[in-house]
Amino acid sequence: MIRLKDISKWYSNGSAKAHILRHIDIEINEGEFVSIMGPSGSGKSTLLHLMGMIDDPSEGEYFFEGESVFTLKEKQRSELYKKHIGFVFQAYHLIDELTVYENIETPLLYHKISSAERKAMVADILDRFQIVGKKDLFPEQLSGGQQQLVGIARAVITKPKLILADEPTGNLNSKQGEEIMDLFTRLNKEEGVTIIQVTHSEKNASYGSRTINLLDGKIAL
Amino acid sequence: MLKNYFKTAWRNLLNNKLFSFINIMGLALGMTCSLLIMLWVKDELAMDKFHANDSRLYRVMENQFFSGAISTFPSTPGIFAENVVKDIPEIQMASQFLWEEEPLFTVNDTFDKEKGRYVQKDFLKMFSFKLTKGDVATALARPDAVVLSKKLADKYFKGQDPMGKMIRIDNRENVIVTGVLDEIPKSSSLKFDFLMSFDLWAKQNTWAKDWGNNGPRCYVMLAPNTSLEKVNAKLKGYIKSKNKGSNVEVFLQNYGESYLYSNWEDGKPNGGRIEYVRIFSVVAIVILLIACINFMNLATARSLKRSREIGVRKVVGASKRQLIGQFIGESLLVSFMAMGAALLIVLFILPSFNALTDKQLALNFGDASFWSTIILLTLLTGIISGSYPALFMSSLKPIVVLKGALKINPSAAFFRKALVVFQFSLSIILILGMIVVYRQIDFIHNKNLGFAREDLLFIPLEGELAKNFPTFKQELLKQPGIKNVTSASSSPLEVGSSTQGVTWPGKDTTKLILFSSNPISYDYINTMGIQLVNGRDFSNGYGTDTLNYLVNEAAARKIGYKDPVGKELTMWGDKGTIIGVMKDFHHNSLHVPIEPLILRLVKKDWGYGSFVIIRSEAGKTKQALASMEKMVKQFNPGFPFRYNFTDQEISKTYKTEFTVNKLSRYFAFLAIFISCLGLFGLVTFTAEQRTKEIGVRKVLGASVPGILAMLSKDFLRLVLIAIVIASPLAWWAMHKWLQDFAYRIDIGWSVFVIADFAAIAIAMLTVSFQAVKAARANPVKSLRTE
Repeated sequence: MIRLKDISKWYSNGSAKAHILRHIDIEINEGEFVSIMGPSGSGKSTLLHLMGMIDDPSEGEYFFEGESVFTLKEKQRSELYKKHIGFVFQAYHLIDELTVYENIETPLLYHKISSAERKAMVADILDRFQIVGKKDLFPEQLSGGQQQLVGIARAVITKPKLILADEPTGNLNSKQGEEIMDLFTRLNKEEGVTIIQVTHSEKNASYGSRTINLLDGKIAL
Repeated sequence: MLKNYFKTAWRNLLNNKLFSFINIMGLALGMTCSLLIMLWVKDELAMDKFHANDSRLYRVMENQFFSGAISTFPSTPGIFAENVVKDIPEIQMASQFLWEEEPLFTVNDTFDKEKGRYVQKDFLKMFSFKLTKGDVATALARPDAVVLSKKLADKYFKGQDPMGKMIRIDNRENVIVTGVLDEIPKSSSLKFDFLMSFDLWAKQNTWAKDWGNNGPRCYVMLAPNTSLEKVNAKLKGYIKSKNKGSNVEVFLQNYGESYLYSNWEDGKPNGGRIEYVRIFSVVAIVILLIACINFMNLATARSLKRSREIGVRKVVGASKRQLIGQFIGESLLVSFMAMGAALLIVLFILPSFNALTDKQLALNFGDASFWSTIILLTLLTGIISGSYPALFMSSLKPIVVLKGALKINPSAAFFRKALVVFQFSLSIILILGMIVVYRQIDFIHNKNLGFAREDLLFIPLEGELAKNFPTFKQELLKQPGIKNVTSASSSPLEVGSSTQGVTWPGKDTTKLILFSSNPISYDYINTMGIQLVNGRDFSNGYGTDTLNYLVNEAAARKIGYKDPVGKELTMWGDKGTIIGVMKDFHHNSLHVPIEPLILRLVKKDWGYGSFVIIRSEAGKTKQALASMEKMVKQFNPGFPFRYNFTDQEISKTYKTEFTVNKLSRYFAFLAIFISCLGLFGLVTFTAEQRTKEIGVRKVLGASVPGILAMLSKDFLRLVLIAIVIASPLAWWAMHKWLQDFAYRIDIGWSVFVIADFAAIAIAMLTVSFQAVKAARANPVKSLRTE
C-alpha cells in the first residue's frame, strides 16, 4: 500500500543542513497496524506527515497504492489523500466553534455527501462510539478521552483505508489510552483499516503488528 | 456546508465580541458614510433631468470678450428668444427667463411680496412643470396671464376657484390667473411660486429690448434630431448680425447639464458643482476602503487564532477553494450585518444630513433599484474586505499550523503594516483637507472686505419709498438706533452691472474695458464704511457733484492716471471729474478679484436706486429695526417690511463652502475614528500575542513605561510614514481647491503640524489604551497561561 524509497528531509540553516530524515525505505501493506517509535526529534512525526501527504520531503519517492505521490499535482494529491487517509492528532484538533455532531460531519461536507446520507452516517458513528449523548456539546465541554474519541470518529467517518495517528494517547491517562488503543485494534481487525501510529509507549506499540524504530532520522535495525 | 460555515462564522463572532464589534461597527460607519454620499450624489446627478424634452432643452450662454478675457454668462438680450425662433428654424421654441423677482401681489386686503419668474408663452410646453388647473399650451398665452403655485392659490383665493380671478401686481397692473402649478419636483433647480408674462416685465424695463444689453436668461428647445454643432455654428455670429460692433457670441448648453457644469473659464466649461460630486464620491470610496482595510487587518491578524481550524479543515479534506469560499462567506456575513446597522444609522441621521445639505433625501425602501444598489454595495464590501484574509488563510500549510509553530509570515506582517499606513495616510489627508477648508471659510468670514459689514442693513427701495426717498431718509435719521442712511443701485453684496461706456483723454480705444458701475445717493461712503485714499466724498455742499466720480484703486490703475483726483472722466457721455479714490473693497464675492468700480450720484430722472442702505448704531440693532419698520409702514403702507443684514447675506453666498466645511469635518472625523478602531483592534491583538514576552520582560525588570514604549513604537513609526506620504498629496489637493477663490489663505506649515500632531496623538491614545493594560498585567498571570 505504501512504499517510501530513499526519503530524506532537511532544513537549510544558512550553509548547514539540519537533517530530519535520512534515506528512509519503508513498505507497509494493506491491513497492517504499524507503530513508529523513537526518541524526541528522531523524525517520527515528520515521517507520518510525509505519509499523510501534508508535508514534502527534500528527496526521495513515495508510492501510494502504486501511484507516485510527489509527481502528482496538488489537486490530485489532495483528492487521493482525501479519499484514503484519516488523521488523528495528539491534541485532538477539534474545531472549537462546532459541536461534536458538527465536527464529525465536517469531512462529509468536503466529500460532497448529501444531507440525508450525512445524517445517517453521523448517527451511525455516534452510536458505534457510544457518544450519542454528547453530540450537542462543544469540545471544551468534553474530557480529553472523549475529545479523542470524537477525533477518531471524525477520521473514520469517511471510511479511509489508512489512519495516521500522531501520539493519539499522548494527552490521555492510561485508562483512556487503553480504550483508544482497543478502538484502533477493532478498526484494524474488524474493518481491515490500515493504521500507522506514532507513539512513545512500548505498551501502545504492542497493540500493533509491527514496529519501526527511528533514531536521528534513520531506521534503527 | 453553508450551514456549517455559517455556524462557525456566527459562533466565531459571538466568541470574540470585541473584534466582532470593531469589525461590524467600522464597516457600518464606512457604509453609512458611503450611503449618505451615494444618496446625495444620486440626487445631484438627477437634478433638472426630469423634463420630458431633456435632450432637446438648452440654455443660451453668452461669451463676452473684454480686455482680452472671455467671461461667460447665461444672459441674453431680452428680445433674443422671439427673434431666434424666427431666424433659426432648428430652434423650435424659445423663452426668455428672468431672474427671481419679488413683485407685490394684492388681492382685496391680502398683500405680500411673492417670488417667481417672468417667462414667455412656450415655457410650459418646453419644460415639464405640470398644472393642476389650466392648460400648459395656453396658460401663458395672454400677456396678462399669471400661473400660481398651489401655495399662492390657497393664500389669495382660499376656498375659491382661482381660475380667471384678478391679482394686482406692484399696485400697477392687473393680471388674470390662468393656471395652478402642481408641486415642483424636488429635483428641479428652478423654483418659483408664480409665472408671469415676460412682456409685462419688459414693458417696465425697456432697456431689455436693446440688442446691446444683456440680462435675462433664455432657454430654447431644438427640433427633434437636430445637430447641436450646426445650431451653435449658426448662433456664433447671431448677435453681431443684429448689433454691429457687439463683442458677444452665444452658444447652447444642455439644460440638464447646466446645474452641475456651471463654471466657465475662457469660454470653456470648467466644472461647477460636479467637482463636489466628484470629491465626495472619492471621499465615499476612501472611507469605505478604510473600513474594508480594518476588516482585512483584523481578520489576518486573527488568523493565528483561526489557523488550527484551517489546518483541521484542510486535513479532513477541504480544498483551498472551499476555504476561500468559507472566509469570503464570513466577511459577507459581517458585511450584511454592517449594512443592516448602517441602514439604521442612516435612517437616524438622515434628517440632520438633509438639513445640512439642504436636500430632501430619503431611503427608498420600496424601490428595487435601491435594494439592488444596497446589495451590490454589501457584496462588494464583503468581497473586498474578505479577499485578502481568505487568500492568506486558505494558503496556510496544515502541517505548519497543526504543529502549533505558526510564525507570523513576514510578508503578511508587512502587508498589514502597509494597510495601516495606507489607512492613516487617507485619514491624514482628510484631516488636512478639513483644516484647510475650515481656515479658508474662516478667512472669508473674517476677511476685511474694505467696508464694515457689521451693523449694515439694506431694504428694497420700492413703491412710494422710491419717490420720497429724501424725506424718508430725513425722517429715518431722526429715529433711534439709526446712524447713516443712503441708497444705491446695487446691494452691498454685489455690484452686478458693468459698462464699457467710460472714456478719458488718452484712452486706448482699441481695448474694451469693463467697469463695474453703481449709481448711488449721498452718504454712501460713510454708511458703507469705505475708506478714501485720496480726495473727498460726494457732498451736498458742491452743486455740481452729479457730474463727478469716485473710483476705486483698481479703476484708477486701469485708467492710468498718476494722480487721478481732479482729472477728467466721461461716463455715459457725461463729462466730469474724479473727485476721490476709494481704497479697494470687495463689492463682489471673494470668488472673484476686485474689479474696477466707478461710483456716481444718481441723476434726477433715474430715481434713487434699488436699495436703501442703513447703518445702525453699534449694539442697537433692535431699535434700528423697529425704527425702520415704523418708517417703512408709514411711507409704504401697501408693502410688507423686509430687511437684510449684510453680514448674514454675505455668509449665505458661501453656502456651498459652509456645507463643505461641515461635511468635511464629519467625514474626517469618521475616517480617523474608523482607522482608530482598526488600530485599536490591531494593538489588542499584538498585546495578546506578546503577553508572554511582556511577562518575561517584566520578570526581568522592565518598567511599565518601557513596555509601553516598546508596544507603541511600531505603530508610531507607521503613523509617521503615513504623514510623510499624506502631506504632499493633501497639499496638492487643497492647493487645487483653493484656486477657486480669488482671495485665499496660504497653506502654511502650521496646518501640517496640527494635522500630524492630531493624527499621532489620536493614534497613540488608541494604542496606549490597550498597551497600558498589557504592560500593567501581572507577569505571574500572563506566564501561567502558557
